[in-house]
Amino acid sequence: MVIDSAVNRTRLRRIADGSDARWLMVWIAGLLVLWIWDAIFLNAPAFDAVQTSFLNSLATGIMVVVMALFFGWVIGVGLHLLERSEARVLYDIASFAVDILRSVPQIIVVLIGYVLLTLLLHEGTIRSTAGQLVWIAFAIAVAVSLEVSDTVRERINHFRTLDFVDAMLSCGISETRIVNVEILWKNSRSHLLYKLIAIFGMSVFLQCSIDFIVSVGLSTDVSLMNFPVTLGSLLANVDSKQDILAISNLFTDPGYISVILVRHLQGISVAFCIVFTLLCVYMIANGFVRRHRLV
Amino acid sequence: MSNLWDVLTGNSESLSSKLLLHAASLVVVACMFGVIVFVVETRRAEQRENDSNIQKYLSLHDVDFGDPVDRSIFRESLGVFLPNQSERNDSLLLAIDDLRQRQFSDPAYKSGSQLQGLTLEKIGEIVGMYVQFLGVYLVVLVVLFVSAERIGLYMFVKTKQHRASYLSQFVEGARQLRYRGKLEKRWIVARRLSLLLLKALGKGAVLAILFSPAYVIAYAVRTSFDTSTLVFMAFLGVVSNGVLIQTANRFFTLLVAESHKGYVQTAVVKGLSDSYEWDTPRGIPRSALFNVRRGIRSHVFQHIFLNARFQFIPALKEYASFLVTGLIIIEMALNIQGHLCYELLQQILYRQYDVACFIVFGIFFTVKATEVGVDIWHEREKKRYGY
Repeated sequence: MVIDSAVNRTRLRRIADGSDARWLMVWIAGLLVLWIWDAIFLNAPAFDAVQTSFLNSLATGIMVVVMALFFGWVIGVGLHLLERSEARVLYDIASFAVDILRSVPQIIVVLIGYVLLTLLLHEGTIRSTAGQLVWIAFAIAVAVSLEVSDTVRERINHFRTLDFVDAMLSCGISETRIVNVEILWKNSRSHLLYKLIAIFGMSVFLQCSIDFIVSVGLSTDVSLMNFPVTLGSLLANVDSKQDILAISNLFTDPGYISVILVRHLQGISVAFCIVFTLLCVYMIANGFVRRHRLV
Repeated sequence: MSNLWDVLTGNSESLSSKLLLHAASLVVVACMFGVIVFVVETRRAEQRENDSNIQKYLSLHDVDFGDPVDRSIFRESLGVFLPNQSERNDSLLLAIDDLRQRQFSDPAYKSGSQLQGLTLEKIGEIVGMYVQFLGVYLVVLVVLFVSAERIGLYMFVKTKQHRASYLSQFVEGARQLRYRGKLEKRWIVARRLSLLLLKALGKGAVLAILFSPAYVIAYAVRTSFDTSTLVFMAFLGVVSNGVLIQTANRFFTLLVAESHKGYVQTAVVKGLSDSYEWDTPRGIPRSALFNVRRGIRSHVFQHIFLNARFQFIPALKEYASFLVTGLIIIEMALNIQGHLCYELLQQILYRQYDVACFIVFGIFFTVKATEVGVDIWHEREKKRYGY
């Protein structure tokens, strides 16, 4: 028992010493400081909007990660099993389709998802905010899930060259179990987790960008009131844009920083949330790679 | 037949099979978009015919369909001329209402004759925009590749030098500052610490810019710079959206992975230099970062670089799609008229899906063409190194 807790303490210590954990703490601390600053200086409606937008974006990002893991796992394992089965033609068709999807820029896939969402909104099929967020997460997950499936296939191919797979097959263990449990679950969680961290960052970026674009470009067709407020759509808001435009004043008057941090807080807070999150997620992913020696 | 199938499905790893696969996917996507264009055009023709049939009722003099009295007179008149067809007459009134509503609300009616779908004139217009998009894309791709390579190399050398980050050095220096005795010495250390802090802040600011989405940077400098120029677009394409840092990090990862391989240790044992100190006799001259191939002979770094670069070339295919995503975001978010992706957004807004499909196919073609180019380049490199 004593040994166990000592081992656990060492493990916790190692995790806390890792740069990924450090950057995770930096991210949380940075957002906490921003939250306190906004609570003091930002007006109540804008503060509410910033909080809601952040939570919506965070929720969408988490949903994207879960969906991308599911889709990527299914596609990766499915392609592997098809490749090993006698249905060779099916495998060729599936991998051809996957290759085509890979060549479509992710933003186009997400944009198509938004066009379909507007149609569903017009028809009244989707009404709730949660439903819209799930749909948006689905569209982004479709766009990014191939990255997970690539990792899945890479790991399976790596382990296929080792003897233990053949040994397990000779022992009568089914290939599905070997792939799903032995290779992916027991031996590839770190690789998949790294990929999922990167996908979280990608989903934040794609979601903010598409919401910004839709709010700027399609706003006459679909009222902003129709879409749930996210970091991207809040940034496209006129007030936020004015706040970001005010940054230009720093080129001529660096002392203006004190005004920006108090008077132009809505846009600055949203932009900070996006940029800081993207930067921290990148650092967390890199730290994770180093700690688990994935290179 | 089976050989042809193998070539078509990429089972053969030869360049010709890869090229054939790319061509096949282009044909498939072109056919898919062709079907969409055909369906949209057919529906539009039906809609136009229906609208012209309804329009003749709307053109009736002395009938105001917004007036309830006129509407009931019209309904009764229909009942007189077409008795026992009340359902048909109700449908006609609904169709008239629908057309009236669309004439007020549908952007296609508001924009007049500009929205005629995929006409020859429109295709010409889009091709012009596409060429411009392609020009910016090519410039960004080349600059990105070269810059990512240099940054990746710099990151690698810095890692090999085993130096702590500026912030860690600052924290360590600040700790030591407490134990230093003389005031003069303290002042020197304080100056060094200030410099380190400045460097750390500068690095943080550069990273923040590199990770900023393009629209944040563009709006932040909009009142000071002209953000609608092609040069600015290309600049944003390279430095924003995290493209540069992600690509550089990929190259850095390949360099690190390569440096762990056995041949590197063997080469060091055989006498090749493995010191990564700047500008020392057995180290690396800073200028070599710009010419690794010839700049540092007898150093293991040159071999690590060449092997990592060989693997980095196919990785460009992955970044091509992401790079195009970045450029699309820039063009759409900045709302610059006359640019391909702004046009795409407008066509989606006006529900001109055939034109939108045509533009999307152009974008898909760009990514595919890049993949073809990268495959050919990689094949040449393979031959060069005797693979």
